[in-house]
Amino acid sequence: MKNKLDFIQNLDKDIKEAVTENFYNQDNELVLKINLKDLKKVCLYFFKDLKFYLLSAFAADESKNDGNKFKIRYIFSHSSIDLFIIIETETGGTFPSLSEEIPALNWYEREMKDLFGLIPEGHPDPRPLMLFPENYPQDIQNMHPLRKDYPFNFRPEFKKYGEYSYNKDVKGDGVFNILVGPVHAGIIEPGHFRFSMSGEPILQLEIRHFWKHRGIEKIAEGKTISETLSLAEKISGDHCVAHSLAFLTAAEKILNIKIPENALYIRTIYAELERLLCNINDFAWLFQDAGYSFGAQETFVLKEDIMELNKYLSGSRFNKDILSLGGINICGNIDNLRKNVLKEKLSNFKKRYLNLKKMLLNSSTIGERFEETGYINKETILDLCALGFAARASGVPSDTRKEHPYLIYDKLHFNSKVLKNRDVFARLLIRFYDIEESFSIITQCLNELPAEDINKAGREYADNNVNNTVDNISKNKSKNDRCIIAKDDKIDIAQQLPTNSLRSWALGYCESQRGNIMHFVELDEKSRISRWKIRDPSFHNWQLIEFAVIGDIIADFPLVNKSLNLSYAGNDL
Amino acid sequence: MFNIIKTRIKEGIKTKKINIEDIKKDNIVIFNEELKNKLLNKSKNKNFINNISVRVVDSGSCNACLHEMSALTNPYYDMERFGFKFVAAPKHADILMVAGCVTRNMYSALLKTYENIPYPKFVVAIGDCAMNGGVFKDSYATLGGIEDKLPVDILIKGCPPEPIDILAGLLLAFGKSAK
Ligand code: SF4
Repeated sequence: MKNKLDFIQNLDKDIKEAVTENFYNQDNELVLKINLKDLKKVCLYFFKDLKFYLLSAFAADESKNDGNKFKIRYIFSHSSIDLFIIIETETGGTFPSLSEEIPALNWYEREMKDLFGLIPEGHPDPRPLMLFPENYPQDIQNMHPLRKDYPFNFRPEFKKYGEYSYNKDVKGDGVFNILVGPVHAGIIEPGHFRFSMSGEPILQLEIRHFWKHRGIEKIAEGKTISETLSLAEKISGDHCVAHSLAFLTAAEKILNIKIPENALYIRTIYAELERLLCNINDFAWLFQDAGYSFGAQETFVLKEDIMELNKYLSGSRFNKDILSLGGINICGNIDNLRKNVLKEKLSNFKKRYLNLKKMLLNSSTIGERFEETGYINKETILDLCALGFAARASGVPSDTRKEHPYLIYDKLHFNSKVLKNRDVFARLLIRFYDIEESFSIITQCLNELPAEDINKAGREYADNNVNNTVDNISKNKSKNDRCIIAKDDKIDIAQQLPTNSLRSWALGYCESQRGNIMHFVELDEKSRISRWKIRDPSFHNWQLIEFAVIGDIIADFPLVNKSLNLSYAGNDL
Repeated sequence: MFNIIKTRIKEGIKTKKINIEDIKKDNIVIFNEELKNKLLNKSKNKNFINNISVRVVDSGSCNACLHEMSALTNPYYDMERFGFKFVAAPKHADILMVAGCVTRNMYSALLKTYENIPYPKFVVAIGDCAMNGGVFKDSYATLGGIEDKLPVDILIKGCPPEPIDILAGLLLAFGKSAK
């Protein structure tokens, strides 16, 4: 299974026969087209027999005048080979549900049902997911927003169309339910939780999400790449670099744009700064939720210092608006001065972080509460295809930087630690490793950062090529002041736009702090978005929490929740 | 722990001084200048103005605005020194802070929270999305922003607005002297 190119030869004969067509869309994207009737067989072969991981599943509307036609794609990958398997099939309206066998598909299939009106036949839980019956008409042919004939701004009348029903009730003497949300007590995003309890221990938790469903994927359709880029930053605010990076990677692959070496380094630095910031933030909240205010406030000070550093580097506390097609924006450049400041600040941060870590590890109350709380079993992780540190804390390796190296991660030295303890404490320890790796990666990048004055090159490039950027071609003049930093300048992007009338697509991915982010970007012949599927790691990992809290007391729920610290916005889209 | 205290002594207290005269007002829009009086009338007790409770509702933000709001409680901004604090229930609150566009799914929850805040109440819109929905204005899944749904008193612009702007907006609107 090590060789990418003869991968297809080594598959089972049965499976090979089922594949009607296969090709490499990009170096590491192998597309297998199959008929709908073989879907179950092929997917289960990859998931169960070859132990592949599900990374995404989504539909796209390809309807022509002669009736409805939808493409469904399933993306699988494996940690031992840098290859994405994209299983592609077509349907007119129904498809077999695989949620019983691949539990990770549960939400994906319900999503397709809501947004496209495709019916997953035999789905164990076919309730609506993001279009709530309280305000949205259900099961009506032309009421599925991601279909092409549905205008992005069409709003059905706002009234009650039905009631929400919980999945399974727990019954018995002394069993009671606690309902929480959607509006929470703290400054937290909205989500609804129903705890079924008997005394203190939690017997069952049911989560209800998608309160913040904003329809990002639909809004993007027909937009230019730079307009969509600013949407990508709004998917999940704290992960704006990771999401825009994933989106841009896909767009750059389609347009065949080569990114200059130094921009790659700078992108890596920002990606790691974001990981650092989010990890420190989680760290602070864990202190806070365990009732250790002193430690929490000290860590919040550290977080604030990192955000101030971001502001110094890029003008934005979240490093928004620094990436652009083909490179980075001038405002995000790291010149010699900034490089030195960054180095100096990082060593200060590291010292302070180590002190905080020592304090936390020495505190017996913290150990008491974190250890043996919120167990997530390896089987659960594998079934739900959980990603990132949540998987790594339960003994499953999951790190896109290692498995599918992008940017310059194949040149860097870092470890992706895997622990077996499965509890809140393990997830905290994994964060410690991640924080330390981030420090070391940024230092490595800074030491090797190509020395030439990219700032100047970038500005010259901007002056000479104002008329050549993709945005101008797409008649979007709003971002003319931005530019692409190019070392071997003059990438004539205009010539590289696909000229054939075919739509083309690519996968964009990166490892965010929470885990793998996967974007599917399809551009039409005018280089505008025709389908954009965003998958934040939270979409996989949220379902873990229902399993993690079972048997714990309700007072530990905040800890378990914070130990995963998932994004509601990225999940709801 | 001693190391940390040592660092703290060396680096000094982090809390930012805010001078009300120096506050940049570009990002702050106050629609209702009478806020302070309205609040004072609520109680004969003049000290009331020193205890203003804030309830946050996220009706569809991208969570960057939330990060900036929770930053208000960190030692840098420490909004409690001015008498503002975040509370857990709308019944305790004087201010409703809204971040993000209003999604269809959150609309009723937002209204319910607003209804449950006792009079007099104020609405603060945080970020570019909150007022009219920003880029999500026309989406099928949202209902725009809060401008046509709730009476907005203060708007803090930015995407996301910086904590210092949020704090400054509150201070300006409630006519507080900065300490
Ligand atoms: S204003 Fe900007 S930062 Fe705030 S919620 Fe909207 S998109 Fe996010």
